[in-house]
Amino acid sequence: MREEPVHGAGAASRSRRYPSLVGQWGPPGVILLLALAAWEGAVRLFHVQRWLLPPPSSIGAELWESRSLLLRHTWVTLEEVLLGFALALVVGVALATAIAYSRIVERAAYPFVIASQTVPIVAIAPLLLIWIGYGIWPKVMVVVLISFFPIVVNMVDGLKSVDPDMLSMARTLGASRWQLFTKVQAPASVPFLFSGVRVAIAMSVIGAVIGEWVGASAGLGYLMMRSAPQFLTDRVFASIFILSIMGIALFALVVLAERYAMPWYQWEKREKALGGR
Amino acid sequence: MTSTPPHAPGGIASSPKIELEGVCQTFLINGKPLPVLQGIDLRVYRGEFVSLIGPSGCGKSTLLNIIAGLEEPTQGLIRTDGRQAHGRLGAIGYMHQKDLLLPWRTVLDNAVLGLELRGMSRSQARRQALGLMEQFGLKGFEGSYPSLLSGGMRQRAAFLRTVLADQEVILLDEPFGALDALTRANMQEWLLGLWESWGKAVLMVTHDVEEALLLSDRLYVLTARPGRVKMVLSVELKRPRRYEMVTSEAFVRMKAQVIATLREEGSRPTQSEGQA
Ligand SMILES: Nc1ncnc2c1ncn2[C@@H]1O[C@H](COP(=O)(O)OP(=O)(O)O)[C@@H](O)[C@H]1O
Ligand SMILES: [Mg+2]
Repeated sequence: MREEPVHGAGAASRSRRYPSLVGQWGPPGVILLLALAAWEGAVRLFHVQRWLLPPPSSIGAELWESRSLLLRHTWVTLEEVLLGFALALVVGVALATAIAYSRIVERAAYPFVIASQTVPIVAIAPLLLIWIGYGIWPKVMVVVLISFFPIVVNMVDGLKSVDPDMLSMARTLGASRWQLFTKVQAPASVPFLFSGVRVAIAMSVIGAVIGEWVGASAGLGYLMMRSAPQFLTDRVFASIFILSIMGIALFALVVLAERYAMPWYQWEKREKALGGR
Repeated sequence: MTSTPPHAPGGIASSPKIELEGVCQTFLINGKPLPVLQGIDLRVYRGEFVSLIGPSGCGKSTLLNIIAGLEEPTQGLIRTDGRQAHGRLGAIGYMHQKDLLLPWRTVLDNAVLGLELRGMSRSQARRQALGLMEQFGLKGFEGSYPSLLSGGMRQRAAFLRTVLADQEVILLDEPFGALDALTRANMQEWLLGLWESWGKAVLMVTHDVEEALLLSDRLYVLTARPGRVKMVLSVELKRPRRYEMVTSEAFVRMKAQVIATLREEGSRPTQSEGQA
């Protein structure tokens, strides 16, 4: 005897549920193009000064002409972002695990985790500069401070929201405490971890720029700070453009990693969206 | 009420796989004690299929939790193979009311969980499980995630996980409760065949009298909360059982008897409802 799976309709219905590449990127692409065209037209029509608001065409030209300069600064910023984010991930996951497993750690550490978010990062960045000195580390620290919070909070939620019956089930199969963690709790918290990581990766870029504003000799944030007083407005815009692309690309990488790491989650979300079983 | 003394199939002197003596459980609800089980005596012998039936909320799941070792009773003794059992957890198979499949594991990897937890390598465990996919109606779905399966398939996957863990006693908590009538009847017949070829002791909670009679050697009827054993019935139908037996005269008589006993319980308000 055998019943059919609930939604085993196969490739046809599946492809209907995945929006195509054109369907996904088409509409925002069209809007972006229209906005750029309106911007270009308005600047030319009203003869807006270049240093006040450059047209997209001259920003594009700047991107091309100063590419080696921009690229050099991009690498610096990207390095700070990736290093800071990686540290935040390690610290965040470790701290979340400790908080979820120990009442004492939770009581002792959680208030500080939350307090760390109420402290204005811009205000402590100069202190980091004084304490850690110039070089990459004060910027990395700003990135860590700004991005570890969503990771910790989401991961703690994930570890705590595991169905207690699932833990009981594993215990009746003879699971040790460590196995309960590795086989049930940790995997169950991965979707939560990923939602934290999505937020964290976007904040990491912001963190790096703030760090560079306070004190740096390289990086896109530094380049913006240096270009603005010289009225190199198109260079400021070029930097902003690259930072946006960096943020979007990193976010997209996280989404890809998510699909790769949790194929089951995509299905479950879809089944739920279809009204469940 | 009629109470047939429990018989011991398969041995004269063999001690029961599971033996409860005077088991009581009381929970504290907002500081007030709520007695859920009161003096339960119960035995399951080697190779025996025993059912537990009773009004909802009378403590059936609580009783299984206690036997499995997830909870300790406030009073009473639990023996396995005649010895007082302290470390039961992990030694007794328990299939919960919900299938509790891990959504991030495929059907195959869910099935091997118990073997894996005992230290078997995943590849060896998988090999062992693959041989049973056919019998459990899961062939072709080894690599599927649980969210894509029907209720019956999920239940059988949970069954396979329990069976593969190879514990000598298996507790089943309303294993077919969430299934539609047709799937349910199929699953009952399937379980019957499985159990007959298998010889494990089974204790099953159900609220379906027909199901209990069809599958069991013995049947315990519990009272409304606090649960006590109201009746023990030996189901004198020959094996192998077949679905057609439900129309036999003996079956119909036993069914009427059990339903009448349950009715008495159903019309009596439970203790806490009486106070409210
Ligand atoms: N851990 C617990 N704490 C407090 N009350 C509980 C607990 N587990 C079960 N109960 C209560 O015990 C009673 C019996 O529950 P249960 O064993 O699930 O009944 P059944 O399975 O027979 O329907 C219910 O009233 C339930 O609310
Ligand atoms: Mg129950």
